Amino acid sequence: MARMKFLCDADRCIECNGCVTACKNTNEVPWGVNRRRVVTLNDGLPGEKSISVACMHCTDAPCAAVCPVDCFYTTDDGIVLHDKDLCIGCGYCFYACPFGAPQFPKTEAFGVRGKMDKCTFCAGGPGDDGSEEEFTKYGANRIAEGKLPACAEMCATKALLAGDSDMVADIYRERVMRRGGRPQTWGWSKAYGEG
Amino acid sequence: MKSRIPHVVLLIAGALLLSACYESVDVTRHEPGVYKGQADPLVKKLENGGDLREQLNRRFDGQRDR
Repeated sequence: MARMKFLCDADRCIECNGCVTACKNTNEVPWGVNRRRVVTLNDGLPGEKSISVACMHCTDAPCAAVCPVDCFYTTDDGIVLHDKDLCIGCGYCFYACPFGAPQFPKTEAFGVRGKMDKCTFCAGGPGDDGSEEEFTKYGANRIAEGKLPACAEMCATKALLAGDSDMVADIYRERVMRRGGRPQTWGWSKAYGEG
Repeated sequence: MKSRIPHVVLLIAGALLLSACYESVDVTRHEPGVYKGQADPLVKKLENGGDLREQLNRRFDGQRDR
């Protein structure tokens, strides 16, 4: 059993937004919804760093903890998914998430937000794998096809790593050893605790 | 006697109308923190491992530096 994780190597990210485009294109994400985005710290200053952020598929997901209708479920591989048929669009998950991952497609009168949308690790959602309904609601199911999330596969500098935590950590360790610097695994301790 | 008939009809109609306000007290109780939605076949596929697991592992490993 694997434990799926994302890791963004801040020393490699060049803020090209290729991951954002890949995500939008693969999942046909509607306007106004950003499942993934690139955040730049100290923009224009020496030591500027960029990080690609999406749902981190937390070990103990706070979104799932606060959901009043329990629409979240976690696969054995640690991918946090949700059921749009159960979601009531209350927005609690948005307030709970430390990464700002949950997105809402509508901004209408009386606070109507629509069903929550977020990164699925390209693993679709409930319902038949690869079905039209699944694609319309959740986007592509690349994991069922034996592929990685589109954002990680499209990353030109291989800054964004996705997959089994052991392999991802191993790849990153190799890089840090070669660089001789200190690791900067942004967001890992928050999303996955000590593990 | 003539004036009483409408009263009786009114009473019956009123009782019928009130009975329509009855609400079932049987509430669906859900356990908190338990997912109640549709099943995801991917979960079973990942559990079973096999070809999909090997295929995924090959892809994960392909992320090493070129």
